[in-house]
Amino acid sequence: MLKFSLKKILAMIPMALVISFLIYLGLELTPGDAVSYMIPPDQLANVSPEKLEAIRELYGLNDPFIVRYFRWLIQMLQGNFGFSLTNGVPIKKILLETYPATLELSVAALLISTLLGSFLGIVSAIRRGSIADNALTVAGMLGVSIPQFFLGMVSILLFALQLKWLPIGGRMLPGQTDLLSHIRFLILPALVLGVTLTAGVMRYSRSSMLDTMNKDYIRTARSKGLPEWRVNLIHGFRVAITPVVVLIGFRLPMLIGGSVVIETIFQWPGIGNAFNMAVRGQNYPLVMTIALFSVFAVLIASLLVDILTAALDPRVKLH
Amino acid sequence: MFTLTRTRTRLDRQFDRIRDLEEAGLNKKSTTSRALRKLLNNRLAMFGLAIFLIILLSSAFAPLLTSYDPLGVDMRSILKKPSLLHLFGTDKLGRDVFTRVLYGGRISIFVGLGSALGAASIGVLLGAYGGYKGGWFDKTVIRFSEIFMSFPQLILVMMLVSIFGQGLSNLMIIFIITGWGSVYRLTRARMLSLREEEYVQSLKSFGLNDFIICYKHILPNAISPIVVNITLSTAMFILEESALSFLGLGVPLEIATWGNILNASQDLFTLQNTWWLWLPVGVTISLFVMSINFVGDGLRDTTDPTQQG
Repeated sequence: MLKFSLKKILAMIPMALVISFLIYLGLELTPGDAVSYMIPPDQLANVSPEKLEAIRELYGLNDPFIVRYFRWLIQMLQGNFGFSLTNGVPIKKILLETYPATLELSVAALLISTLLGSFLGIVSAIRRGSIADNALTVAGMLGVSIPQFFLGMVSILLFALQLKWLPIGGRMLPGQTDLLSHIRFLILPALVLGVTLTAGVMRYSRSSMLDTMNKDYIRTARSKGLPEWRVNLIHGFRVAITPVVVLIGFRLPMLIGGSVVIETIFQWPGIGNAFNMAVRGQNYPLVMTIALFSVFAVLIASLLVDILTAALDPRVKLH
Repeated sequence: MFTLTRTRTRLDRQFDRIRDLEEAGLNKKSTTSRALRKLLNNRLAMFGLAIFLIILLSSAFAPLLTSYDPLGVDMRSILKKPSLLHLFGTDKLGRDVFTRVLYGGRISIFVGLGSALGAASIGVLLGAYGGYKGGWFDKTVIRFSEIFMSFPQLILVMMLVSIFGQGLSNLMIIFIITGWGSVYRLTRARMLSLREEEYVQSLKSFGLNDFIICYKHILPNAISPIVVNITLSTAMFILEESALSFLGLGVPLEIATWGNILNASQDLFTLQNTWWLWLPVGVTISLFVMSINFVGDGLRDTTDPTQQG
């Protein structure tokens, strides 16, 4: 097991290096001169070309590309992500400020989609072919087809503007830090993000449950005379649910992508919102750093999925 | 007994009908293809196909359905409610919303379908040859696809938009670059199993060219999952285009697309007071994407024997 995990981790390193290289290449391709970012615009005209050249030399901007890449990589590994172009704040600070909000939203959405999706999927598998199953299939299709932002807009209109049950957006009011008022802000964005993910989970758990229900040991359990709920829940569900839970890792990319849209609509102060602002403001260092981190999050998640699957399923070969 | 207490479904009734016919000796041999009959019998897929065609055709023949100009500003009729004159009302510049939805559909569908076809052709081209031949070519391309697949799609698209800039053709190129991976993997996986078939061995022994064996003789056997993938990725790209345009990063605002129409109605005032600016477009996008998904699912059910149920 340990050997398997180590092997997987080692295999990830070249991948991470290539991706970081590509992202640095993207940073180089962006329009603009790195020097012009370091000097306030109103003073730029007064700086002589020789001085600019000296600054370039000082910061090593004239070095070959590959040297600059490794210098950048070492800086990144040490946690120096550079500065935001728009307000000069260290990127590390922005990340540390926004990431708890995104984590909170993602965990809530993951919980909602996993619980709701596996429950509905199993209901529709047990009642296969019934009206409930067909209705859930259509509803699930609707869930993946409605644009997230449209669902967000409608839910803001309905629950925040018309019914006034929940706040329009934001994460908390100044001064109100208790849990209850905090959760009120979380409900809408988490639900909208969660519902769009639910459909996929539902479909997957439905087919996984159908698969399981056709197995011989389920027939054995039935022929023993066990009550139907016991067969479904204890014998079927327990086996069917394992791949569904493992699927969480594969939902992470969708979750990160979705959080950009949802956080923007609900003014949620998370990484997705920061990323959107950075792209719009052409704040390239911040764009690249967030992209790099989201790829690493996906890589680590798929690594965990691999290890988890190997741990849960003895049929997966460990080499 | 489980089987006796189970509620009877539409499928059961259908089987009963067929059995009754058989017992009465009235069962005639069907002349149409089995897959087609199966698709025609799938009510959701047919429903999807109908909606898909309605929206597609009304966008394509937009000039016949409306006499307004999608960009024609009319300052005398600003923010008019839906009426017979303006089916979906007018927007802040007096433009007819119904017309804009129709013409916007042209661009949105073009972007979605064009990107899906572009991504599929790259994916199929690389996947078919890589899967058939293997070797260093295959190993290189699969590493490449892994890199693209490990980015969250929207993050990668937005990052590339920030580098290359906005625009219709840029957006399509970016969609193609980010989207070819899934078709590639699918095609490659199919080719890996198909290349072991005996007819491939015999073609090889005839001394046929690798390209001819690969693209002319094996690829047609792998085509149905690819078609399903194209429909589903069309739906995905339409959603992505609208999300990007909604965020203000998609197609430039001068061009009417479904996302751009929604982009103009983000503020709370519009949301609350002028529902016709955003509700019809949102419903149109949802319906269209849903119809494509239904058709894609129906196609998968008819062509893929492993996905029954």
